[in-house]
Amino acid sequence: MSLETLLLLLAWGTLVGLDLVSVPQVMIARPIVAGPVAGAILGDPWTGFALGVLFELFQYDVLPVGAARYPEYGPATVAAVSAAHAAGGGGGEALGIGLGALVGLVTGMMGGTSMHLVRRLNARATHAANERLEAGDARVLVRLHLAGILRDATRAALVTALGLGLGQLARALVVGALTVRGVTLLDVAAVSAGIAAGAAGTLRLVGRGPGLRWFAAGVVGGAAVAWLR
Amino acid sequence: MTPALGKSLLRLFTVQGSYDYERMQGIGVGVAEEPLLRDLRAAANGGGGGAAYRAAVARSAHFFNAHPYLCGLAVGAAARAEHEGVPPAQVERLRAALCGPLGSLGDRLVWAGWLPLMSALALIGVALGGGWRAIIGFLALYNAGHVALRWWALRAGWAHGMGVAAALHQPVLQRAAALSGPAMALAVGAALPLAAQYLSGAFTGWSRGAVAVVAAGGFALLWWRRGKLTGLRLGLALLAVAALAAGLWR
Repeated sequence: MSLETLLLLLAWGTLVGLDLVSVPQVMIARPIVAGPVAGAILGDPWTGFALGVLFELFQYDVLPVGAARYPEYGPATVAAVSAAHAAGGGGGEALGIGLGALVGLVTGMMGGTSMHLVRRLNARATHAANERLEAGDARVLVRLHLAGILRDATRAALVTALGLGLGQLARALVVGALTVRGVTLLDVAAVSAGIAAGAAGTLRLVGRGPGLRWFAAGVVGGAAVAWLR
Repeated sequence: MTPALGKSLLRLFTVQGSYDYERMQGIGVGVAEEPLLRDLRAAANGGGGGAAYRAAVARSAHFFNAHPYLCGLAVGAAARAEHEGVPPAQVERLRAALCGPLGSLGDRLVWAGWLPLMSALALIGVALGGGWRAIIGFLALYNAGHVALRWWALRAGWAHGMGVAAALHQPVLQRAAALSGPAMALAVGAALPLAAQYLSGAFTGWSRGAVAVVAAGGFALLWWRRGKLTGLRLGLALLAVAALAAGLWR
């Protein structure tokens, strides 16, 4: 992977990480967007779409309400696509999906933890500026806010960089050591977990009320279309 | 749109930029409200405009937590109340009273409705071969609703001031909240088998059956251990087991 590609992935991962909570929440942070764009940067859209779909299913397990702590799947998907592309050779094979999922899930976990840390740093900065905030100093208010955004951008860049590094490390350690059957096992585990997480997450959201009937109707309809294709 | 409202709307897109565990969205809400408070600096406010402005800015940055797309409602309403000379304690009570309803409505309408609905349609589009058109369609449609909601919230808050509760009872809003749940359930339900088919397209023979069995088992585990086991943990555990099996089964 060239340095230029790596920097582009880092920039994309940073934007995606910023979008999730800070600026501007237009949902480029959703894996279904982050993955294909990362794939396009790598010249391997197939892997981008596949990992985007997989992590979008994992995303259904997350409801970002209030101050809840949750994994961050945006930069994670970027790292996952990079790892899967490197492992699969970019030839459109599914060989790298399992490895990509492994790298992405670990990166997602790190992303969630890093958001918690940034919020604590923001609280500390706000605490330090309390007196001037209570005096109604608008410049301090804006400065604090910009510093928070800068902190989140730095966090997103670090998480993406760690994820990209983890992808290279995983590729070096795992790819040569696995047989084709081993790679398939990893792929099966990743895809199964994604489907299970998507289904369970949605059912939790839908609940036992009337929405359940709509959900069941959707599953039947989707299954019929899948069968007929 | 007045320049102040425009500035406030732009700043609302960053409302969670300085999110923290003490004031939550408070700082971001203060930053978004500040352009609407600048008029208070004018001498027309009894000559003590500077003090009124600073006091209002300080109040605007106090604790606040609601759905980010609906924060504009509180921003507009509080700013209007400050202009109308409503007593500070009442402005604080208004902000506090809005947190719960705006959070609950936004979560139902967006996080549990509009967003998963649009995401599911994108998944269906990609699974059916729509490729980039599905992604661009998702971003365009989702953000049409997103930006419209932010703009409506700010304008409604600014128009109603202390009577902002009336805006929350708008029939359109209530109807959208009621419809988004079933629509989301239907779309995500349809997306799941199609996404599963899309992802397992590369598998053949035993691996296809294995995906069905492991996914069913994983779902049962997640359902049984809900609140304790997450999709992320299940994924990592399954990948660890698969790596171990791959080492043994050569």
